[in-house]
Amino acid sequence: MPARTDRGNGMSRTHVRTLVEALATAPPERPFVTMWEDEDDVHTLTFGEFTRFACLQAEQLRAHGLGSQDTVVLVMQQGFPLLATFAGAMLLGAVPAILAYPNFKTDPAKYSTGLSGVLANLKAPIVVVQDESTETLLIDHLPRTSGTRIVRSAVLSSGRPPMPDIPPDPDRIAFIQHSAGTTGLQKGVALSHAAVLTQLDHLVAALRITESDSIYSWLPLYHDMGLIACFMLPLAYHLPVVMQSPTNWVAQPGTMLQLLSERRCTLAWVPNFALQFLSRRVRPEDRARFDLSALRALVNCSEPVRAQSIDEFVKTYESCGLRSDAVKSSFAMAENVFAVTQSDVDGTPRRVYVNRQQLLQNRVAVPVAPDAIGSACLVSSGRCLAGQQVRIIDAVGRSLPDGEVGEIAIHTDCLFDGYYGRPDLTAQVLHDGWYWTGDLGLYMDGELYVIGRSKDLIIVAGKNIHPQDVEHIVCQHPAIHDGRAVAFGVHNPDLGTEDIIVAAEVENENQLADRVQIERALRDAIVAELDVAVRSIFLKPPRWIVKSTAGKAARSTTRQKLLDEHPELRRDQPIA
Amino acid sequence: MSDQTQQMIDYIKSDVIRRPDIQIDENTPLVSSGLIDSLALVDILMKLEDVTNKRISAGKVQPKDMDTVGLMFATAAKVGKPRK
Repeated sequence: MPARTDRGNGMSRTHVRTLVEALATAPPERPFVTMWEDEDDVHTLTFGEFTRFACLQAEQLRAHGLGSQDTVVLVMQQGFPLLATFAGAMLLGAVPAILAYPNFKTDPAKYSTGLSGVLANLKAPIVVVQDESTETLLIDHLPRTSGTRIVRSAVLSSGRPPMPDIPPDPDRIAFIQHSAGTTGLQKGVALSHAAVLTQLDHLVAALRITESDSIYSWLPLYHDMGLIACFMLPLAYHLPVVMQSPTNWVAQPGTMLQLLSERRCTLAWVPNFALQFLSRRVRPEDRARFDLSALRALVNCSEPVRAQSIDEFVKTYESCGLRSDAVKSSFAMAENVFAVTQSDVDGTPRRVYVNRQQLLQNRVAVPVAPDAIGSACLVSSGRCLAGQQVRIIDAVGRSLPDGEVGEIAIHTDCLFDGYYGRPDLTAQVLHDGWYWTGDLGLYMDGELYVIGRSKDLIIVAGKNIHPQDVEHIVCQHPAIHDGRAVAFGVHNPDLGTEDIIVAAEVENENQLADRVQIERALRDAIVAELDVAVRSIFLKPPRWIVKSTAGKAARSTTRQKLLDEHPELRRDQPIA
Repeated sequence: MSDQTQQMIDYIKSDVIRRPDIQIDENTPLVSSGLIDSLALVDILMKLEDVTNKRISAGKVQPKDMDTVGLMFATAAKVGKPRK
């Protein structure tokens, strides 16, 4: 097997064919993961210590009967045990999948029902938890028919079990990462070691990553940005990474800037909303203690990239040494392991100003002067990484010329083969080796501009929410006419992300008198199942929702009707 | 209900939920009921610091400790330190 070498200007990673080999060949004394809770609770594991912990987890999983190529689901809080169990499963040749950890808002019964759907699809014999409360929650609520055992992860001890002896096979499935959807409807993306390493090689080349780089992350590990860029990348390339949990960060966003300053981290990935959140939710008096001069690439990813968010962040923190070109952009998705495109590592993402009306009505980008009336600013997501091809297509898959808006389709050397156990869903999106992403965009001068979604997906703070999931929950309420609810996203300029709006018909107009109680029940149900808060719920009389010719609620037309009736919802709507 | 409690409730109604007409008391679940999102907790925490004149280390606060206005003041009393 020939050695892998770099394909660009980044560091090379030689002679490994799997992620397991990459971990086994790491210098044992080199720092790997630093887990930050607060100033008094910071712990670092070197690669040697981490590998030993992963071997302990592998030994425990094997003792629980987990075999090579078995799938195993991890329901654990962000921390060393989760990271080590994930790596330990891979050491065994098993296939780990991380699911979102239930929090206090989660309805245990609904979470467990969703989890049982995932378990059935993955045919996972084991769920790993790390604490008694999660174990009790799952034992009490998981349907008895699932046949899955719930086991605890190993605790860090002085044991030194040997590395499992599994023949390296680059084409073996390394792990499953999940695409958007509620727990029960998630689509599992199975990725081989070869696909992951290929993606990482491209990413390293595009960002010119070297041994002197270090990563910071608050991102959840059940999301591709957190798992691939902030765990698999440092694991395979032997880089240090500083992590804190999403819940820890969201309560004190300034800690990200504090850690970037203290640890001199050079790379980080965030969804767009985080830039505005950091600009507006950190006390100005705290800025004096930040030194962001080491940060060379803060990659804006997983939500549409907005110029306003980038500009606000750079302006807020330029006095802290932030480079004016530190914020980069990328277009990425779980189905491609991670990134398809990346903006130039030497500059800021390119911008073009186009006529907004032409873009919306004729779906074509007509460049105009930045200060022209009706101009819209589009921010590039960059150029294709090596091995990646992008086409902009129309509804039947024909390629569109540069400047025309269509669906983004990709064909790459690290693309998934299909959704795990779901050939039906796979057939909807894979066509002759091209993955139709469902995202709308255009290509111009070799750069990709992502305009929005063609599948009505709502993206709230980097989290993908299917409107169908919200509508399904709303329609379970006895006062709501079944099938007469729509959910959609509207831009929240204060947060730089989307808010969820719901419109639903009551069965009987008299029930509008109970709107406060109904609305409260709907909010309860949505947050319990989807872990997301809805901004506004509009209860409407019978026959208010616009129906399609097939008799179903017409989402886009109803959205327009609601926006016309409630213009206050149109707060600085972006392009699409 | 104390002035401080009323101050927090008024702030949450007008600045966070942006619906002054909504009924909230010190025991109304806010995050677990979907009335507010976790992202709003950082604003609420800063307001709580101002209202109580305490420095509250967010790292020691879990979202469940902020689910009602009553819990917020209990949390401030437990982990807050007087501002210098």
